[in-house]
Amino acid sequence: MPLITYIDAINTALNEEMKRDEKVFIIGEDVGVMGGAFKATKGLIEEFGPDRVIDSPLAEGVIVSSSIGAAMAGMRPVPEIQFVDFVTPAMDAITQQAAKLRYRSAGTQTCPITLRICYGGGVAGGLYHSQTNTTWFAHEPGLRVIAPSTPYDAKGMLKAAIRDDNPVIYFEHKKLYRSIKEEVPSEDYTVSLDKAVVRREGSDMTAVSYGYTMQLMLQAADKMKSEHGINVECIDLRTLNPIDHDTILNSVAKTNRVVLVQEDHRTLGISSEISAVIAEQAFECLDAPILRVTAPDIPAIPFAPTLEKFYMPTVEKIQAAMERCAQY
Amino acid sequence: MATKTKDRAETSAAPAKAVNGTAPLPEAKLKQIYSTMLKCRTMEEKIRILFKQGRFSGNYYAAVGQEATEVGCAIDLRPSDTIAPSHRDFIANLIKGTPLNLMISQIYARKTSPDQGRSSPAHCGYAPLNIITPASTIAAQLNIGTGVALAYKMQKKDDIVMAFSGEGSTSLGFWHEAVNFAGVHNLPIVYVIQNNLWAESVSVKLQTKVEDLSIKAQGYGIPGITVDGNDAVAVYRVASEAIHRARTGGGPTLIECKTYRWYGHSEIDPAKYRDPAEVEYWKSKDPIPFMENYLAKYKLWSDDFKAQILESFQKELDAAIEFAEKAPYAEPEEALDHVYSFSIRDRELNRKTWTPTVLQK
Ligand SMILES: Cc1ncc(C[n+]2csc(CCOP(=O)(O)OP(=O)(O)O)c2C)c(N)n1
Ligand SMILES: [Mg+2]
Repeated sequence: MPLITYIDAINTALNEEMKRDEKVFIIGEDVGVMGGAFKATKGLIEEFGPDRVIDSPLAEGVIVSSSIGAAMAGMRPVPEIQFVDFVTPAMDAITQQAAKLRYRSAGTQTCPITLRICYGGGVAGGLYHSQTNTTWFAHEPGLRVIAPSTPYDAKGMLKAAIRDDNPVIYFEHKKLYRSIKEEVPSEDYTVSLDKAVVRREGSDMTAVSYGYTMQLMLQAADKMKSEHGINVECIDLRTLNPIDHDTILNSVAKTNRVVLVQEDHRTLGISSEISAVIAEQAFECLDAPILRVTAPDIPAIPFAPTLEKFYMPTVEKIQAAMERCAQY
Repeated sequence: MATKTKDRAETSAAPAKAVNGTAPLPEAKLKQIYSTMLKCRTMEEKIRILFKQGRFSGNYYAAVGQEATEVGCAIDLRPSDTIAPSHRDFIANLIKGTPLNLMISQIYARKTSPDQGRSSPAHCGYAPLNIITPASTIAAQLNIGTGVALAYKMQKKDDIVMAFSGEGSTSLGFWHEAVNFAGVHNLPIVYVIQNNLWAESVSVKLQTKVEDLSIKAQGYGIPGITVDGNDAVAVYRVASEAIHRARTGGGPTLIECKTYRWYGHSEIDPAKYRDPAEVEYWKSKDPIPFMENYLAKYKLWSDDFKAQILESFQKELDAAIEFAEKAPYAEPEEALDHVYSFSIRDRELNRKTWTPTVLQK
């Protein structure tokens, strides 16, 4: 199996899906001639032509709304939002149209789009090139929201998303693009869009995260083992909406302790929801308060290195929370 | 490209003869346009009465006064063509052929409506005839319709999209994103602005500085034309040309129909903001008697002809109302259906409780 990066995984998945199904097409800013701001769509316009790899006008609203209409008429569009910081012009299309079309037509009209959105901090991108904002979309029933954290999942989940009959928001973390490599099959495969996965088994504590901070959480768990002999079970959420509650609750029933990690800021984040679910459905299982490691509630991620570091969850911050949880 | 203004004088002075080389319309088409307008009017006036009688709740946005626009534009669409309607285009369903029972079920929010009672009474779509189920967000359908047109082009079909919007919607940013995009990609779509002078209580003078909204087409490199929206034949001619252009690869057209809504924005709006003289003026330009006179000139109209249309349609309408009033509402838990392609009922209805694993053993 070839060892590939996260961004190669995305590029390969797009290529394979476009070969498999001529209904699949790509639309977004700079996705064609330039091959994408991060080169996720590199080489695709050369292979599939400008009719299937569309360099859109600079207009996020119509990137998404035209995809919705095209999907309704039988296509499988894969629109791209260059940075989640600029998704707001498309918010009507995403939340009022894509999320609600199936519902408002009682299942008779649907829009299977896969909206790829690049997100995330830790890359010195400043206020408007580092935001996370995954929560906005996880709050919208009707949307599937996924955030793979490994190259294997990046490829398998993107392929599954393109074949899925629901509108899918596919969050790809820019810090992961080139920072990790994994052996990924060159054969066709898909990864479930419904299931969280246990990345590391453990009996002393459950930790849950997604995206880039999932990788940090794994490192913190290794340190907990080597420094304290504590076994942290690490769950990669993968799907932010609808969330796979069972995988989390099964783990909490076993470990009785929970640390939740998210890069998004604190209030009403994914971790808030998971905390509530655990409190409601597994109250008896808890031996300690649920702890959250999140960004602070500030408007966006600041640029200066000191400020950015303060904002981002880090291995140290996660480990500190795990230690507090273990000591309780 | 040039933006032209066709007014009543230009398009209908001698309509049965060739105008600017255009062939006169077949008699059957003229009659079809008239009878469809009459049905739309009859249905909407009836729906307004039903609302006042409290027989359905919610609200309704009547297009009474605008029938020439809607019928003239949409009468020739094929089933495989798509209509992208707004809140005021309930009658687009009648024109395209959505079964009346289903339409009136929509008014009554019954299980038998195309949306099974989910949206609001006027927001009716119908998938088998490619009528997009509208959202309330102004200009949203026009955007989605633009995407449908993109698909039609990619699929090399000769189907087209007709997207309706009000003059108020042209102030929204994403109205322009859509029209611009259609221009860039030469999409098979016809944008119809029904300029009824008002967006709720806001005059068109506060929406835009331009006199004719079709001029906006120039900014996107597509043809734009303004037409008397109360002259069904004029609208039909203009729309036919635009539809033909779209079908044959000529790209989008922007049509502005100048027209007027007789009543308030909705059934709960007394429209006190309008000068009664303005309303009277536009009522005197009622598109239906105008069409009757037009037909009569060519001996295509009589009281009898009208009575026949009304009699049979009234029966149909009464039957549809009875059907809808007898139809059930959806079961409460059906609110959970059609969120995703899979069911969320179990997830929502059966929340389990976990106990510690050690205790389970
Ligand atoms: C984006 C948005 N803003 C506001 C509203 C509330 N609203 C509904 S209809 C309407 C006026 C629409 O005017 P126009 O586009 O001229 O259509 P008309 O009602 O005259 O047919 C407004 C403000 C809405 N539905 N959507
Ligand atoms: Mg208006």
